[in-house]
Formats: sequence, C-alpha cells, structure tokens
Amino acid sequence: MTAAMNTSVQTSSLLPAVAHGDMGAFEQLYDRHSSTLYALLLRILSNPDDAQEVLQETFVKAWTNAKMFDSVRGSDVAWLISIARSRGIDRLRSRRIRGDREDEAGREISGSFGFVEKRTGADDAIQSEERSAVRSALAELPESQRVALALAYFEGLSQSEIAERLGEPLGTIKTRMQLGMKKLRERLKAFR
Amino acid sequence: MMSHDQYDAIAALDAIGAADADEASALHAHLASCPDCRRARDEYAEAASLLARDLDPVDPPRQLRDRIFKSIDRGNVVDARERFGISRWWMAAAVVFLALWGWRELSVRMMREKVNSRDADIRRLAGQNQLLTARNEKLSAEMASLASRDTRTIALTGQQVSPSASAKVFLEPQQRRAVVFFYNLPPNAADKSYQLWILRADQPKPQSAGIFDVTPSGAASISIENLPLATEIKGLAVTLEPKGGVEQPTNTNFFVAGST
Repeated sequence: MTAAMNTSVQTSSLLPAVAHGDMGAFEQLYDRHSSTLYALLLRILSNPDDAQEVLQETFVKAWTNAKMFDSVRGSDVAWLISIARSRGIDRLRSRRIRGDREDEAGREISGSFGFVEKRTGADDAIQSEERSAVRSALAELPESQRVALALAYFEGLSQSEIAERLGEPLGTIKTRMQLGMKKLRERLKAFR
Repeated sequence: MMSHDQYDAIAALDAIGAADADEASALHAHLASCPDCRRARDEYAEAASLLARDLDPVDPPRQLRDRIFKSIDRGNVVDARERFGISRWWMAAAVVFLALWGWRELSVRMMREKVNSRDADIRRLAGQNQLLTARNEKLSAEMASLASRDTRTIALTGQQVSPSASAKVFLEPQQRRAVVFFYNLPPNAADKSYQLWILRADQPKPQSAGIFDVTPSGAASISIENLPLATEIKGLAVTLEPKGGVEQPTNTNFFVAGST
C-alpha cells in the first residue's frame, strides 16, 4: 500500500485528551468523525431523526467513557464506530420488535456499502484519501462475502438469519463471513 | 477445549456482531486470559470499522452539533490551572496516605489479585460451561437427526487420494439438517482444513457445508443446518483446503465422495 495510505489511516488520537476533559479535542473529534458516524447510522436506521438521536448518544458516551479508550487497541474512529453501530443496531432491533419497520421484508440485499446521499461540504483531503483506500480494500472482497458482511454489520442479522435470507447453508455463510473478515484484517495490516 | 484458530474464527464473526451467543461468551471468557486472541479480536474490530468508513460521509445538521455540546456537562471540563492545583494537593495527600496506609494497601492489592484471579477462573469456567451446554445441545440435535424415522443414510467412499477413508451421512430431509461422520481420513496439516462440499443439481458450483479437522485416528464429525432441499442435493465430497476454508474448491482431489 502507498505512503499516502499510511498517513491517511493513522491520524493522531484525540480521545486521550478528551478523557482529560479537553473540550477543544472533543470538538475536533466531532468535526473529524461525525459525518462518518452519521452516514453509518443513516445506513442502519434509514431515518434521520433516529440517526441524529443515536449520534448524540454516541458522542455523549464518547465524552463520558473516553478514559476507557486504549489507543494501543485501536483507532479513535473504530472505537466511535463500534459505539455508534452497537447503539444503532439496538435501536433497529427495538424498532423491529415494535414492528415499526415497513420495508423490512422487501429490503434490498446489496453488496454496495455506499449511501446515496453525498456529503455536501468539501471533503477533507485526508478523509477522502482514506476512503479511497478503504474502498479499494473492500473492492477486493467477492460480492458474496460483501453481501453477507453487510447483512450482519448494517442489519444486525445472525448467521442463521443471513443463511435463511440468502437461501444458503449456514456453514457456507459462516465460512464466507470469516474469510471476508480475515481478508479485511490482512488488508488493514498491510496499510498500517 | 477450543484451539486458538477456532477462537480466531469466532473473533472474526464477533467483530461484526455475528457470533452466536454461546460462541461469543466462550470467546470473551477466553480473551480474559489470552493476549494473542485479544489482539486478534481488536484487529478484527478495526477491520470491521472499514465497512462503515466505506460509506460516503453525510454531514449531520448543524443544530445537532450545538445540541450535543450543550448536553455535555461543561462542569466536567477541567481548567488546566485548577487541574494543576488539584494534582499537587492530591500528590501531597497521596504521600501521607501511602505512609500511613502502605502496609494495608499492599494487603488490599494482594487480595485484589486473588479476587481477580478467581474472577478470571470463574469467567473461564463459565465460558467452558456454556460451551459444554452448547455442545450438549448440538449432540442432542445430532442424536435427533440419527434417530428420526425419516433419516436417510448416504455412504461416502474413499477416493484415489485416500482409498481407506469413508464417511456416513445421516440426512434428515424434513428438518433440512444432516450429521456426517468421517473415518480414516489422513491427518490434515496445521495450515490446512478439510472442507465438505454439497454438489447441487440446481447450481453449477459446489457449496461449502463447513470445515473440519480430524483427530489423530482420522475421525471427525460435522453437523449441517439449513441444507438445500433433498432433491437439490446431487452429492457430497470432501477436499483439503487452506486453513479456514475457501469459497470454491481449489482442487478436485476428493478424499471421500458419494451421490445421494
């Protein structure tokens, strides 16, 4: 991978400063990652009101729990994404239980992760570089692996639900997701 | 007891929230005592974040930013001068505290280590217990497959690369599940896995039904859920593949094979 990718993926961690109550660092953290998290929550929840509410919960949690972040174990953005995704999926599941989701049955299965609504402001050059690096890593996954990963990651489906949805044996789905994740992990190591 | 490779495979799924509850709790109990697997789990979590980072960013409304910053308790923001003052006070207090209570601190620490070690033992045992429960459930399901009135038996025979190998498939068409027992397969190398393939009448490419390793005596068993309809299964075959399995067979050296 290129040197550009090295610089793009490794940006300095802001969370240790946030853990010490540095509001400036927290603002920077928000400006740097809120659009990624909001896109993720829109993808999971398909509803701007819910996505904004969960985004707010995510950043409040980041502020109160920043001291639990360990930069040796991962990046700021991965930590924030994990909080946002987990809360987003919880919200999605509680909506499913309430039966609010009208389009659940007919939801389109797609290997594309792209969300149609583009960010209107000028993208930060670093983020743009990072995204193209990420995109090329994901493009290397076969479509079948991307679809299985997307159903688990964005829709919170279990292995059995994915097998059922795609009409494939459970073993096939499990192997497919494991291979996809192994490839992504190797790719990530390559550009670290 | 599961191997590190098996924990690694669960960690990959756990990072995208797709591990079964039993698998996930066994993994988390294991992580408490295994730094290598913990590192692997962290790396998978970082890799999973790529799925989100691939999305085109969307700016949230400006008002949301204001709302979030208002909701943060600004009282928690520590002024640098105040923090310095507090830390000096705390340092002095800590010295006095340590002088007076040093011996007690030491015993507390020792007790805490004991408690932590017992907690780790409890977590490990709880993980093992859950794993055994899961295995018990799996065995019960397998027994049900074997004992069902509708169960069909299919024999897979050794092929050119392993003529003495064989396998028996107990197929329960109603439940769309099967249990397969393998005998006399050559031991697989550490970097290889056996992979069972379903050859389908309605699809040109074989489908993976799972991966497995064999015991030193060449035995193994695997249960398959969510099988295709019995009429769609043309046959079954086993190949030796890179560790962790592959999407499609990389060779046609079948170790055992048979048709339905």
